[in-house]
Amino acid sequence: MTITTKVFGEISIDDERIINFPGGIIGFPDLTQFAMLHDEEDDVASIHWLQSIQEPAFAMPVIDPLIVMENYNPEVEDELLKPLGDIKPEELLVLVTLTVPQDLTKMTVNLKGPIIINAGNRTACQTIIDGEEYKVKFPIYDILQARKAGE
Amino acid sequence: MLALSRKKNESLIINNNVEITILEIKGEQVKIGITAPKDVSIYRKEVYVQIQDANKAAVDTDGMAALKKMLEH
Repeated sequence: MTITTKVFGEISIDDERIINFPGGIIGFPDLTQFAMLHDEEDDVASIHWLQSIQEPAFAMPVIDPLIVMENYNPEVEDELLKPLGDIKPEELLVLVTLTVPQDLTKMTVNLKGPIIINAGNRTACQTIIDGEEYKVKFPIYDILQARKAGE
Repeated sequence: MLALSRKKNESLIINNNVEITILEIKGEQVKIGITAPKDVSIYRKEVYVQIQDANKAAVDTDGMAALKKMLEH
């Protein structure tokens, strides 16, 4: 199918690449279908885009949380993952959204509201992690700078 | 909004499968017990709104070009 995207204009994707969010994402219950997009020529720190199928202007950059926090390991109740169906550990994908304001020093990731994807059946949800351990606005500028320096 | 008065230990039933009970009333604070199917997500609204705002903020990627530049070199 052809979809209109925020970053890549009009593109064609296989239907099998669509990820279903039965409950939408938090605050946007109507956005139930997304595609994960990636600019292969412009591979920067593994940033992918979670692009809404229904709303072309809605796309969030997402990254693997382990890039910015090695020991990220939030506890999620099994029941909350039931709508995702049977998940094989190797098909469980956890991503966090990235907020990139003009002033990069204020760049953050949302560790408290991760996106959890069952890659096996392409079903996903966004959940909220209980407790104070993980922040909604976790600063990452210094972490990315340090990673770069270490490369 | 539907407004109903309840006393301590009184409950409400929503949609046949959600029960909300007033457990304790102490000054300005009310302790509420919720019994619901386990796949029903229940969040404190202020936390929910924080995540919603973070989702909105993530969509405005003003600094993405600058970030790419920063990571390139």
